[in-house]
Parts: sequence; C-alpha cells; structure tokens
Amino acid sequence: MHDTVDPDFASFVDARQGRWLRTAYLVYGDLNRAEELLLRAFTQLSVRWTRVDDPDAFVQRMLYQPAMRPWNRAKPFPDEEDPVKRALAELTPAQRTVFVLLHLEELTEFEVSELLGLSHTAVHAHGMSAFGSFRASLGAGDWRDAR
Amino acid sequence: MRREDVQPLLLQAADELPEPELADAAWAAGVRVSRRRRRTVVISVIAFIVLAIVASILIQVGTSGNADDITPPRTPPGYVEASGQISGIDFWVAPPPGSERFLDRLETPLGDRLELPDKVRPLAKHTLNSVAAVVLVKQGDRYAPLLLGADGSWAKADVGLVAVGGESPLSPGAISPYGRVVAFPQPGELITVNASTAEISHFPLSAGEFRSVSWVQDEQRVLVSGPGVAYQVVVGEGGDGERAVLPVSAPDDPDEATSPYRMQTGAVMRYQFNGQWIDDSPLTLPVRSWQGQTMSSNSAAARMFIAEKLPEVPTRVSQPQVLAAISTLRTLPSRLLVLGEPQDSPPTYEGAGDRPFVREAGCCVVLGWYDDSNVLFRVHGWVLAWNLDSGRVRRVTEMRVDQVALGPGLRL
Repeated sequence: MHDTVDPDFASFVDARQGRWLRTAYLVYGDLNRAEELLLRAFTQLSVRWTRVDDPDAFVQRMLYQPAMRPWNRAKPFPDEEDPVKRALAELTPAQRTVFVLLHLEELTEFEVSELLGLSHTAVHAHGMSAFGSFRASLGAGDWRDAR
Repeated sequence: MRREDVQPLLLQAADELPEPELADAAWAAGVRVSRRRRRTVVISVIAFIVLAIVASILIQVGTSGNADDITPPRTPPGYVEASGQISGIDFWVAPPPGSERFLDRLETPLGDRLELPDKVRPLAKHTLNSVAAVVLVKQGDRYAPLLLGADGSWAKADVGLVAVGGESPLSPGAISPYGRVVAFPQPGELITVNASTAEISHFPLSAGEFRSVSWVQDEQRVLVSGPGVAYQVVVGEGGDGERAVLPVSAPDDPDEATSPYRMQTGAVMRYQFNGQWIDDSPLTLPVRSWQGQTMSSNSAAARMFIAEKLPEVPTRVSQPQVLAAISTLRTLPSRLLVLGEPQDSPPTYEGAGDRPFVREAGCCVVLGWYDDSNVLFRVHGWVLAWNLDSGRVRRVTEMRVDQVALGPGLRL
C-alpha cells in the first residue's frame, strides 16, 4: 500500500462522501458520529481497495449496520427544532435506518434487506411503520391515507 | 403526505451539512492500519519462532533428562550397598545363620539338596566330561569317590582311599580347572581319577600325610601338601627334563600351598612353575588365622579368615569370619563378606526356617568359583554363593554330606 492516495480511490470517495454523509447523519442523528463511521468505512475500504469486488456495498454495510446493533442507544438529533429531524428521532433505529435508505438513497426493499442483513418482510414492516410514524409526527394524518 | 414528498423533506433536513474531504484522511489511516497489521504479523511470526525454539529447548532438556533415566544403572539388579569398609576394602554382611533356606537360589547340578545318591553307575561305564562335584562315601575303612557330572548324573570311581590324619582325603581343590581330573592326597602318594576315561593314576611321593591338593592352571601339574612338606607333581605332560615330583617351599599350613594364587597374611602371592611363590600384591587385613584353601578365578582370589575384633562388625558370641575376595586385576576392587551371627544370643528357634547356630571357627571355607563374579563357600549345612558385583548372597544347595569339592561342571 503506497503512502500516496490511490487516484481511483480518491475519485470513488469524492464522488460518494457527501451523499453518504447526509444519509448517515439522518440515520444516526449525529453528524460527528456519522463522519466518524464514514471515515472508518473508507479507511477499511482503502486497506482492501484492490481486493473488494463491490466497494459501494462494502462501505454501506460498514456504515449502516452499526445502527442496527442493540447497543446503539444514543439519542438522535438532540435539541433539534426541525420537525423532520424530530419526526426521525421518534423512530426506532431500525425504522429510521430502513426509512432513510428507502426514501433518501432510494434503495429497494430487497437491496436494504441485503445491506442490513434483515429479511425482506422485516424491511417492509419497518418501512411501513416508519412511514406511518413519520407522517403522524409531521401532522400529515394516518399513513393509510397516503397514496 | 405522499411517499414522493419524503425525499425532499429528508434532503432539506440534511442540506446544511458541510462537504467532507475524507479521501486523504481515509487513505492515510488505511496506510497506518496496514502497517500496524504488517507489524503485528511480523511480531507474531517472531514470537512464534521464539516460542518454538524455547519449546524445542525445553523438550531437548526434558529428553536429555529422560535419557539419564534410561541410562543403564551402574549397579547390577538386586545390588546391595556395602556396609562399610574394613582396611579400606568394601565389606558386606552375610545373612545370619538360619536364614539360608530363604535366600534366592543359584541353579546348579547340585540341586536343592546335596546328598548321597541312590543310583550310582561305575565310572568305567559312565564317564563324565566335566565334573561338577565330588563327595566321598565311606565303605568300611576306605572312602570311595562319587563324581557328579554336569548333567546331574553320578559315577563311582573304582578306587579306595584311606583317611589322612583321621580325616577324609577330600580337598576343596581336588577338581582340575577344566573338570576332567580329580586328585586325592593320600599317605605317601597322590591319586588322580580321570573322569573322562575312568583312568586311575598313582603318583608315589615320599612318606607324609598329604592333606591338600591344588591344581596348577595348565591341568598338567598338581600341588600336594602336608604339614611341612609340599610337592609339585606332574600328572600330565611335563616339560622336557622336568622333574616329575618337585619339592616346593612348604608352608606350615597344608592349605596354603595353592595355585595360581595364595593368600597369606601380608601378601597375595602368585605361584611360579619352579615351585616358588612370588609377591603379587600386598594384603593388609585384620587376620587372626586363615581357613581353608585359596580359590582363584580369572580376576580374583578368595579365602576365608577369622578376624581379630572388628569394630565395624561387632560380634557377641563368636569371632568374626570373613570371606576375602581380593582382586588380582588392578582395575577391579577387592571385597569382603563378613559372616554374621544369630540375631539373638543365645540363638532362639521359633519354628520358621532352620535352627540358628553360631558359626564356629572352621565351619566355613571357600569351595571355589561358579564364575568370575560368584564365589562359592560353605557354611554350616549349606553351600552359598556370593555375587561380588551385586553383593547378594544366594543359596546353592543344602549339604547332607560332610565334605564336597566343587568343579567347573557346576556352570549350567
């Protein structure tokens, strides 16, 4: 591994770091933690850069799977007045992760299922309940009215 | 709210985040992680090699320790530690009288018990290649020699022997070194019996009560001695011009005229074929008197003596008797066996074993050698063997005859 950064690696990181930082921020509700996890994921990718088949999946797994762990109990978006962030804070970690990946990253339920190591049924349930709670928190009525 | 409305809301919520610059930091951290891992691997390999070397050294040390364990012991099986030293010579103490029956046994053609046989064939019809033992059976005023072969069979020589000085004419040194001929001292003559041919030979001597015979190692000559008189008698093929009967310097004790060695107070002497003995090695032992003949093997000479008071082995009711096995080779040590006395004084008999007795002076003499390691000696009622290497005393046979001479046919 050379001391100077690999140009391909730099291009890969530059192209994705902004989007994944925003997604991680909404998943964890903490910018510092999101940045720390993203840096750690990119660091691990740099060590395996020439050997990883799917760098996107590798980084996303390292970035989002910690949110599903039971000891991930840090309160998201503390002291936030933004109603969207407060609505996200009302969700469970699993709901929030699934909800953000479905609606911000626009991944399919199957892709989220594979990324997080959950069953498709669980991802679907988390997504539906998260959407309902999100709507209710924002005063948009019952989720079953949504189209 | 519709699903399409969610993404703009989320984008708006995260819109104000700064744009990160993680590529260089991630690569630099990756380089550090990579180097740390490589260092860990190198250190692990070195640690493994060091541990393997240490383990191999420990195993080597353990193996060498085991090698010490499997090194043959320097002492033979059943080795008995010496009890101490007398005049600078290691000594052992023999089992006490009455315990002979319980000693381990040395197998010989003599069997468990040496007694006069029921079945005896004439030697002329049943010759023997090697004589193991000779006993005398009294027939009227004469003695007939019975010869025990190495195969355990008995044969009777057709000769009548007369008593010498009122004692039977059987000397412990009667059987020749190769077990073919037996010699008997007689008044005024020497008689030999060839066991392999049944030939009886008479060698006239000057008048005298000859009591002791001892074979010279070449089996061609015999030393025959009585009080104050001794001769070397050629009984086989002598040298050119050699006198058939050669007077030798006669010691007072007939039993002292022995070949090839003669143990006496102050020295071990070696016999020359010219009828003289020369000093072989000095001998300093607390001897009061010698008993019986000196019997020699290839590496040692053995003789019994009655000792002066031995502070090393105090006795209560008897004078200590000692079997001295003096090495005739410089590389081998000499050894002493002190004959014990009964544990109790006076001896008590509790019904187990033989009745203990005090080993009186003259009860015990050396009878010969089984091999270079085992000297055979007689005590009251038993022939015992003392192994010089191990120090153990074993029983050979229980004696139901008065006297016996032993020969090389004993070795099975």
